[in-house]
Amino acid sequence: MAANFWTSSHYKQLLDQEDVDVVSPLDREKGITLEDFKLIKMQMANYISKLAQHVKVRQRVVATAVTYMRRVYTKKSMSEYDPRLVAPTCLYLASKAEESTVQAKLLVFYIKKFYNDDKYRYEIKDILEMEMKILEALNYYLVVYHPYRSLSQLLQDAGLSDISMTQVTWGVVNDTYKMDLALVHPPHLIALACIYIASVHRDKDTTAWFEELRVDMNVVSLPDVSASFPYDYL
Amino acid sequence: MAIAAPGQLNLNEVPSWGSRSVDCFEKLEQIGEGTYGQVYMAREIKTGEIVALKKIRMDNEREGFPITAIREIKILKKLHHDNVINLKEIVTSPGPEKDEQGRPDGNKYKGGIYMVFEYMDHDLTGLADRPGMRFSVAQIKCYMKQLLTGLHYCHVNQVLHRDIKGSNLLIDNEGNLKLADFGLARSFSNDHNANLTNRVITLWYRPPELLLGATKYGPAVDMWSVGCIFAELLHGKPIFPGKDEPEQLNKIFELCGAPDEVNWPGVSKIPWYNNFKPTRPLKKRLRDVFRHFDRHALELLEKMLTLDPSQRISAKDALDAEYFWTDPLPCDPKSLPKYESSHEFQTKKKRQQQRQHEENAKRQKLQHPQQHTRLPPIQQSGQAHSQMRPGPNQPIHGSQPPVATGPSHHYGKPRGPSGGPSRYPPGGNPGGGYNHPSRGAQGGGGGYSSGPYPQGRGAPYGSSGMPGAGPRGGGSGYGVGGPNYPQNGPYGGSAAGRGSNMMGGNRNQQYGWQQ
Repeated sequence: MAANFWTSSHYKQLLDQEDVDVVSPLDREKGITLEDFKLIKMQMANYISKLAQHVKVRQRVVATAVTYMRRVYTKKSMSEYDPRLVAPTCLYLASKAEESTVQAKLLVFYIKKFYNDDKYRYEIKDILEMEMKILEALNYYLVVYHPYRSLSQLLQDAGLSDISMTQVTWGVVNDTYKMDLALVHPPHLIALACIYIASVHRDKDTTAWFEELRVDMNVVSLPDVSASFPYDYL
Repeated sequence: MAIAAPGQLNLNEVPSWGSRSVDCFEKLEQIGEGTYGQVYMAREIKTGEIVALKKIRMDNEREGFPITAIREIKILKKLHHDNVINLKEIVTSPGPEKDEQGRPDGNKYKGGIYMVFEYMDHDLTGLADRPGMRFSVAQIKCYMKQLLTGLHYCHVNQVLHRDIKGSNLLIDNEGNLKLADFGLARSFSNDHNANLTNRVITLWYRPPELLLGATKYGPAVDMWSVGCIFAELLHGKPIFPGKDEPEQLNKIFELCGAPDEVNWPGVSKIPWYNNFKPTRPLKKRLRDVFRHFDRHALELLEKMLTLDPSQRISAKDALDAEYFWTDPLPCDPKSLPKYESSHEFQTKKKRQQQRQHEENAKRQKLQHPQQHTRLPPIQQSGQAHSQMRPGPNQPIHGSQPPVATGPSHHYGKPRGPSGGPSRYPPGGNPGGGYNHPSRGAQGGGGGYSSGPYPQGRGAPYGSSGMPGAGPRGGGSGYGVGGPNYPQNGPYGGSAAGRGSNMMGGNRNQQYGWQQ
């Protein structure tokens, strides 16, 4: 989107992990632990991604929507902002912001079709109203940078741009949205960490390349960026 | 900080995040009107700072927050440059939008969102329109340089403005020029592969590739508009005042020559080329028509008004043009004269007075059909500008004393018919009758209601019945919307453009196609 990430609101609003991992008092009263909080967000990220498949929007819209959702919960409580409404609304808003507009009624249609649980059932007007609240919670900062853009360039530079490596890395990037990484780290760093993970997984030696990049491997392999990644299944 | 009840927004707190309430501002007066919403001049209560509030209308939205507003906000939040209007913040209004039970009616934000901009005293059209206004060469260079600098910044940041015209170029009393109204703007990718709508840019400033139906285009579209403005500044009046698309293309071809595969490789593959290609051969007459221009100015203008977008000069290269580096050099903005800012004095009373004057003028107009036309605004300056465009200098607005101290936002100043030679045949204003059947089906190109652009945006004749709106082509008429405020311009509803919007060019319709 914008040419310069470093002057963007996205960069200026990067948070520390400790600030992201705060359960709002209202939620805490209801007994939601930090662990629950993270799981709910992951669950909602999955929900957004499922819905997105039905309405057929690009991964980038999903990524933006999930980022919106995660940003919202750094400011708002889940008690006030029901995740089951916030999630589809974020997708709705992201689809506009990313120029792949999805009609609200289409979203509502798929929600009704695939989610029998009444608690998921929201109407168009609920989405539209929540959209305004989300916009406000986001302070109208809608531009989100993603690692995807730098990914292919970096892979090419590393000489790893074969299809299989690209796919694995792309998948790893998709999975980063199951955590709050996008709120904490700049996208290029996430991209590098994903390349690192994928290369280790595929037994590709990237040490020399990373050295050449002079990137601080302590940061790249920082626990929350890569090491603790739930990659048992790779 | 207090926590709002579930479902309610906490509007009282002034949070470090989220938006403040519009109550932080005291609205002073309405200074613009667009389909998009109204524009107010306002004072921030705490600081006393004067700002412009642009309201985002929500009441007709079926799809929530308008995507055009999303685009504008996204783009404005990302652009920070001295020559681009600064979006200070967004404020919301709790609004009266409750149903009988006092419950929010589904969308409590209806009509209650405002963008807060820095306040600017003038816009270029309004300024040029001031009676007796004459721009010096150095001043024109100064404005052009700032325009190009701002536009270059946008283009580097991959933003197309798509509505460059005088009324969207705001000027403050420090001589600073800023691009405003990004309501039609959008980001583009460098490969120009995305299909974009060709229904953008006010007709008179619309480049030939869009008129021919191209849907893949880039920054060159803005450069054409810049060329039109440049020529207008030098020439004293708009150079392509077409009233509909075919006429617009004709005017362009008559000046710039007819496009063919030689001067514009690939032109024959543009969708509507075959419908619009000129029936007779037309030669390029630009150098001839504008032979009185300064050599460097003409050279630059020619590069801007190049038919083939791929050969058209870029903002960056234009800044390097000899024109800006030869005497007289562009002056320092600060050295420019300060013009009286008028909004402060625009009381309601005065507005009514002006209305009265317009009424009178209208009556006059009806009685004297030959006075249908008034001089095009910039011509006035051009005329004053005798070294550039010698011409009969005649009293303008002579019959409207209040106007003389009027604002230089063009909306502020009713333009009564000034007697004078008419460039346009009387009765050349079919009163909003420009609706073209062929276009009608497309909803007049979406957002612009029915009919070709100037009217969708402007529609000045139809409802608001502005007397003064005369000669300028489709009467998008530089925003002599209604009596006073319908300026729509700069901060204004972008769809509003120059005309009044009283007819309600349907901004909503835009969303569909504008992607």
